[in-house]
Amino acid sequence: MESSYIIGSIAVAAVLTYVTRIIPFLLFRTREPSPLIKYIELNMPLMIMVILVFYALKDVKWESYPYGLAEIIGVGVAIALHVKFKNALLSIFVATLTYMILIQKVL
Amino acid sequence: MNFLAIFKLTIPVMMGYIPLGMAFGLLLSKLLIPWYYAFFMSAFIFAGSGQFLVLTLFASQATILEIGIATFLLNLRHTFYGLSMISTFKNFSWKKHYLIFGLTDETFALLKTTEVPEANREKVYLLITFLNQCYWIVGSVVGAMLGNILPFNYEGIEFSLTALFVVLSIELYKKNRLHKPFFVALIIGLFGMVLFPPQKMLILSLCAAAFVLIVFKRSMENGK
Repeated sequence: MESSYIIGSIAVAAVLTYVTRIIPFLLFRTREPSPLIKYIELNMPLMIMVILVFYALKDVKWESYPYGLAEIIGVGVAIALHVKFKNALLSIFVATLTYMILIQKVL
Repeated sequence: MNFLAIFKLTIPVMMGYIPLGMAFGLLLSKLLIPWYYAFFMSAFIFAGSGQFLVLTLFASQATILEIGIATFLLNLRHTFYGLSMISTFKNFSWKKHYLIFGLTDETFALLKTTEVPEANREKVYLLITFLNQCYWIVGSVVGAMLGNILPFNYEGIEFSLTALFVVLSIELYKKNRLHKPFFVALIIGLFGMVLFPPQKMLILSLCAAAFVLIVFKRSMENGK
């Protein structure tokens, strides 16, 4: 592969990734945020976060063995621990460990 | 907030970014691309799925124009993150451009759920973003250099990012005044996961969520 091709691609990808991130700041730079923008700012993060959970699970093969069991249990452990102990690190560590053991040793 | 407290916040991201970064670096080395390009990509692009996409396109000899278009479309979801950060970043100095540059899924998630007194918010945010990027760079460079010789079976450790999103969803649900958006997002996410093509799932679901949020504003705000 030509190094000019690699460098050119990296530069283009870098600039365009940054553009996707800065668009809203350019669009709403001058005006005071409208009530609608404030409403979006307040509520969109929760929706984004929930959708990110499903996005993280998008490659799971639900229709064949083990039917996403490791993911369901992992998510279940994270929810249960977090509701009970409210300690983010604990929930994440134990859920991840559970998941790793399940896919490496059990399923 | 001291350094240790901030570092602790970023540990789940570290657990996800280092192995994922290593996977990226490994793939890069398999395409016979020199390892230092892993550093440049993670330093200047800093987008997990975006970087994997670029490698895939390298492998299929795509043109630079195609790489640009695909990157832009894939990362368009980040526009929604910025939309939720406008007033937070508003009074920050020029350094906010690094925050905007570094607004990945995971960094956005941490910034949005971390309670920081306004006085040192900018510094804390910068450190969180910088630490996250360091994990990603370290992972990808190490992966590109010696991805094949793994001393330990890391398989499944990237689930820490899934668990992170689960935990932060619960946190945001508790903090949010309105609860209806949560249930709407649950339905959209579930349907999106099953029905949308995996590569377009995130952007399509986010558009659907934004659409419902805006069009049904009144009923969202009714009765909490």
